[in-house]
Formats: sequence, C-alpha cells, structure tokens
Amino acid sequence: MTTNQKQSANQSQKLMIFVLTMALYGLATLFTELIPKFQVGIVEFSVEYFLFIPLTLSMLFDPMSAALGAATGELVFSEIMLGQFGGLGELEKFITVTIGVYIAGRLVSNPRNKKMVGIAAFGGTAIQLLLGTIVDILKVQFAIEDFEAVAGLPQSVFATEGFAFLNDLLFSGILFCLLPTLYLLPKLYGKIEPLLGMQPRTENIALGSIGWKTVLGCAVAFAVAICAEFMAESGLSIIDWEADWAESSASIAAGIVVAAVLAVAVVLIMRMRSEKSPAEKGV
Amino acid sequence: MKTVDKLSENILDKLSIDFLRNQVLKNAYGNNDTVIAGMDPRILLLWYLFFGLVPWFVNDLPFLVGCFLLVVITTILAQVAGLVLFLFGLGVFSQTGYLLVVTLLFGGDASAIAPLFMLTLKVATVSLASVTVFSGMDPDKLANGLMWYGCPERLSFSISYAYRMLPILMEEFQNILLSYRLRGNPPEHESLQGKIKYLIYQIKVIIHSFYPLMLNTAKRSRTTVEVLEIKGYRYAAVNKEVKKIKLSSMKVSNNDLLFLSVSFLWIAITILISTLI
Repeated sequence: MTTNQKQSANQSQKLMIFVLTMALYGLATLFTELIPKFQVGIVEFSVEYFLFIPLTLSMLFDPMSAALGAATGELVFSEIMLGQFGGLGELEKFITVTIGVYIAGRLVSNPRNKKMVGIAAFGGTAIQLLLGTIVDILKVQFAIEDFEAVAGLPQSVFATEGFAFLNDLLFSGILFCLLPTLYLLPKLYGKIEPLLGMQPRTENIALGSIGWKTVLGCAVAFAVAICAEFMAESGLSIIDWEADWAESSASIAAGIVVAAVLAVAVVLIMRMRSEKSPAEKGV
Repeated sequence: MKTVDKLSENILDKLSIDFLRNQVLKNAYGNNDTVIAGMDPRILLLWYLFFGLVPWFVNDLPFLVGCFLLVVITTILAQVAGLVLFLFGLGVFSQTGYLLVVTLLFGGDASAIAPLFMLTLKVATVSLASVTVFSGMDPDKLANGLMWYGCPERLSFSISYAYRMLPILMEEFQNILLSYRLRGNPPEHESLQGKIKYLIYQIKVIIHSFYPLMLNTAKRSRTTVEVLEIKGYRYAAVNKEVKKIKLSSMKVSNNDLLFLSVSFLWIAITILISTLI
C-alpha cells in the first residue's frame, strides 16, 4: 500500500455510502420531526439532532458522499414525505448540514484518535448550528416590514436565536452528537467497511491531512454559500419591494384593477375552453 | 412533577412506532384518489413555486388572507394525514407564539402583534402550500415532476427509494429496539429521579440500537447498489432517451388547467379587493 493511494471510493461505492447515510439519517430525522419538543423552564430539551449518524459515517467513509446523503435524507424523509417542505428555507438546511458533516469527516484522519474524533464531532455540529442561526435571524429580518421599528423585536430575535444556538449546542451537541459518535465510531471501525467492500480509513489513505488548506478551502466554500444565500434572498426581495411600492401608489393601482379584470376575463375563457373539450371527448 | 409525568408519557406515546409508521404510510400511499393526487406534477410544482415564494415578499393583508384561504381549501382537497396537520399547527404557532412572549418580555407592547400576525400568516400559507403539494402527491409522480424540471436524477431516485424503503427500515428499527428492551433492565420510574433515569435509559437504548441498524443498512445498501449496477442505473440516469421514456407518462389534462385558472382567478380577485380597499 503506497501513501499515494487515497481513500477515494469509486462511483458505485460512493452511491452505496450515499444510500446508506440517506436511509439512516432520514429515518432518524423522521423520528425527531415527530417527537414533540418539551420545555423545562426556558431550557428547551429537543432530541433535535441525530447528527451523530452522518458524523460517524463521514469519518469512516468518503466525507462528501456521506454529507450529501445526510442532507438529501433529511430533505426527502422528514421534509418531503411529511409534507413539511419549506421551499427556500430547506436550501439553507441542506447547505449547512452538508458543510458541517463534510468538515467533520475531513478533520478525522485516523478514526482511532478519540480526541480528534471528539473535536471533529463537536466542531461539525457547531458549524452547522451557527450557520443555521445566522440564516434564521436574517430570515425574520426580511419577513417583517420595518424590523427595527417594532419595539423589542430585534433584541428578542437575537436573544431567542442566540439562546437556541447555545442550548442546541450544549444539549444536543454533547448528548446527541459528541457522546454517541465517541461510542459508535470505535465499534463500527473495521466492521462496517468490509460490508461495503472498502478498506478502513487509516492515516495513510485518509483524504489529505488536516492542513490549513483544507480548513481554509471549506471556510471559503461556506462563505460563498452564505453569500449566495443572502444574494438570493435580498435580490428577490428588492424586486418585490419595488412591486409593493407600485401597488401602494394610487395612480398605478387603477392600472392593476384593469389588469385584474382582464385576467379574470382570460381565466373565464380558459375555463370555458377546458370545460368544453372533455364534453367534446364525451361525444 | 406533572411536567415530568407528561414528558415521559409523551415520548412513550409518540415512540409507538406502529403509530408513526401508519401515519407516514397513510400520508404516502393513502390518498391516491384525491383531486390533488390526480393532477400533473409539473403544474402542481409551478403552482407551488408561486405560493411558496410570493407570500414571503408581499406585505398586503388582503392578499395574504386570500392566499391563505386558497391553500386551506387545497389542503382540504388533498386529504392530508392528521399527524402532518398537527405538526404543522404546532410548528407555526409555537414558533411565533414564543417570539411574541419574548418580545413582550423585552419591552415590546401590543404593536408587536400586527407584524407577528403577518409573519404567522406568511409562514402558514407557505407551509400549507407545501403540505398540499408534497403530501398530497403520489411520491413517484413527484419524483418524475422534479426530474422534468431538471432536478438531479439522484434526488428523484432518493424520493422513490425512500418511499419504498421506509416501511422496511422502520420495522427493522422497531425490531431492534424491542429486542434491546426485552434484554434490558429499565430503572424504576416511580420517583422523579427514577423518571429522569428512565428517560436517559430510553435515549441510550435508541442510540445503541443504531449500531446493528447501521451494519444491516450497510449490507442492504450494498445490495441495492449492486442491483442498480446490474440494471445499468448509472448510465440510464444520464441518458436522455431513458429519461424521455420515463417521463412520457406525464400529461397535462384539462383538470390541471382548470386548477391553475381557478387559482389565478382567486388571486386576481384578491388583488382587486386589496386595491379597492
């Protein structure tokens, strides 16, 4: 075994990892979606993150496939299957989960090194949660008109989101990400890889060391992701703010009324046509 | 004491996996004969694109109320499973209700209610639209529709795979969980301390049972991928002709046009009303 051979799975193995992570994490998120959260005082106890599953798998296998599989699994199982698909918001979740899991997977070069595994598991969770918090705050700012004008609202959003972040990180992060990963990884290491026809990861075949280049590259990647997210949201809202202004202007309002009446007429014709054709078919 | 009672009871109730499985299966396969399920997925996705995005950016109350009423009607038409609706309600109202309480805590007054109501209305409209489309539609149809719009083949594969595998996976998870419970010795849960211990014990069992589940799923996913390879899946996925054959079953009917035009009519009327006010 030369040092040049990296742990890069071939295409079908990547698909296997993808399917494996998707099914497992999807199942887990389905449960977390269904188990209600409960609050004791102001501390919220939620079994929110079964993130230990993709974290463990990304440390054992190809990190990118595991990360994408986890994000897709969450999207498909818990969002689309339960009909909770939130459109734009899901994109953000998809990106943050992918980045968090991928970084955690890249950080670990030797799964036997418990310290590194712990740091990676906690770090990956922290990154995912932090990105989610930032996007959440911005979402509320965009959705409410005159955000700053409402007394007490900005502080309350920052407070709730910041508190939720710390709460999630300390509670879910330690209980549901750090400890289970530390428990599962040594048990699975060397056992699960042969089932997929692969070699266990060692320092020699790990995908590159944890050099600063990797970290920097990931940092740039999620900076780009956040920028794309912001641009998408702000760009869209700028267009629609202009439309809002148009609506409120009295002179253009009359034009909109005419357009609406025209639209109604067009719709009526369309309806007549669509009702007519099945009748023709029936004859 | 009472909260702890409620807390462990709650988890036990919800963890009855049979209940969850039934609800999910009902949601996925139970309503194939509704108006919404019979529609063309492409039209529905187009419809969703409007009702999933536009309400976020409009701050006009009559328009938002109009959109909300329309999606309520379509949700009724789609006959969504009760659990999904319950989750929807819980999600929307717990989120904004919590925000309201904290706002008041930070010295906000009644003026905070109006923007929060607007936010709730927006969230509710968007989520109900998604409930209608993604919960009311047949999963295979949904996958085909997404593929037609150029979504990665892997996403539609994932959707089809998930719907077929989920019942099996859930059953397996349940079996493993039950076997752990049979062999385990749960702590006494009479006192408060015991209840907390019992809760921790339960969570531990869930995490432990993922170990065999991971190994089993690894085997299964290898089998799946090997079968897919035999069928030439990776080549078929990128082949345009295969895609064409796969998507040829979709057809836009008059019902779809009717649905679109009625929605359009509704929106036009709400805009008319909002300009008249």
